[in-house]
Amino acid sequence: MIFGLLESFNESPLLLYLGVIAVACVGGGIPPMLERRRRRAIENQLPTFLEALSDSVGAGRGLQEAMMEQSESNDGLLASLLSATLKEAHASSFEASLSAFAAKTRSSQVQRVMMLIETAIQQDSSLRDILADLSRDYERLNDLMNQRETELSGRGILIILFVSVGLPVLIAFIVGLFAPASKGFQITGFNQTFSLFFAAASAVAVGVSGRMMGRLKDTLWWLPLWMAVSMGLYLGAVKAVGG
Amino acid sequence: MRKLEEKRELLYVIRTLDVLMSSGVGLEAALLTIGKGGYGIISEDFSSLMKRLRKGNSGGLDKELKSLTKKAESAGYKRLLNTLYTNVTQNTDLVETLKKQGTRMEEERSEEVEKYIQELGGVPETLLSIGMIGPIILSIVGLVPQLMSGDLGSFMSLPDPAVISTVVNIGLILTLVGMALVGLKAHTKDPGL
Repeated sequence: MIFGLLESFNESPLLLYLGVIAVACVGGGIPPMLERRRRRAIENQLPTFLEALSDSVGAGRGLQEAMMEQSESNDGLLASLLSATLKEAHASSFEASLSAFAAKTRSSQVQRVMMLIETAIQQDSSLRDILADLSRDYERLNDLMNQRETELSGRGILIILFVSVGLPVLIAFIVGLFAPASKGFQITGFNQTFSLFFAAASAVAVGVSGRMMGRLKDTLWWLPLWMAVSMGLYLGAVKAVGG
Repeated sequence: MRKLEEKRELLYVIRTLDVLMSSGVGLEAALLTIGKGGYGIISEDFSSLMKRLRKGNSGGLDKELKSLTKKAESAGYKRLLNTLYTNVTQNTDLVETLKKQGTRMEEERSEEVEKYIQELGGVPETLLSIGMIGPIILSIVGLVPQLMSGDLGSFMSLPDPAVISTVVNIGLILTLVGMALVGLKAHTKDPGL
């Protein structure tokens, strides 16, 4: 059945190549999604954590002690990563532990915060105020990032679905109903032109959608898949409706 | 691209400068710390500025800051460099100004993101209007030689099928260009979070 299905697209080698490339690229597209979800989970916990640290430091705790307490009393990935890093750091300095923790999170927000905390420790600055300021800054930043994600992801998906799925199926029905190949209409060249157009339009739609959400590089992995889906849907629907 | 990178790093640079200078670190030492890395294009700028100062072939920190202001593309970065320049030449209260600039940058960033979301609200509609109506019309135009080939063809004369095919191809290319141009708005207006 699978070979039969593949053979029906023998006239469109580009679709078959794209299909193979798409399967390979899916493997590259999933890790950035998982990594992003993990990173955003850490970043969304950061402001609350910094606020708690600021309170503890304000109450007279040392930063290391406050971090240890907060990492043990809080749930979530950020707290567990910090707790594990501080426990592992038997013979290294506190600053080295902070750097190791920042590197483990793989989050630029956490890395910036740790860098600033290290600088503040070196310069003997008032940590309470700095931590409170950082907490406020990152809370606003994360709110903005979440707002952008929520409001634009729906629109991005809408663009992809309409251009890569809706449009090819709609035009395939028009072609299949009014000019079916089974009744002798010569539409091979027409189909080739339109299938190439759908592949290109899908590429544009995926690019625009990814850019809207601020993660173009991550969405590029899914480009061959959507190109192959739109070409396949068009050619498949034309065959299914028009024979 | 440079403008976007400057906007992305600027608030963090201001906050770091604020922390450093509130703790009594001098301006040159603060610039050196930021120049060591972690703040993208601004780190590169400060690093090359400090290198030129160390070599002794520049006209001093004030002149270097002035020339960097000309190179800067974002309004916020230009403002920061101008503040640093004024501090060097007139000994102003830099820490207080940095705090104010940080708050202002924060507000500007929030406004820009909200504006970006609002502006992109119309992108799907425009993109789908161009990307769907165009191909639907062109597909019908492309099918006309096939549909009018029988008895219907005697009622009216049609252009050569090759001409129709060329029109369809050009139309599809223009549709793609139009879609890409509409989508370009998502890139050019990016607030740089």
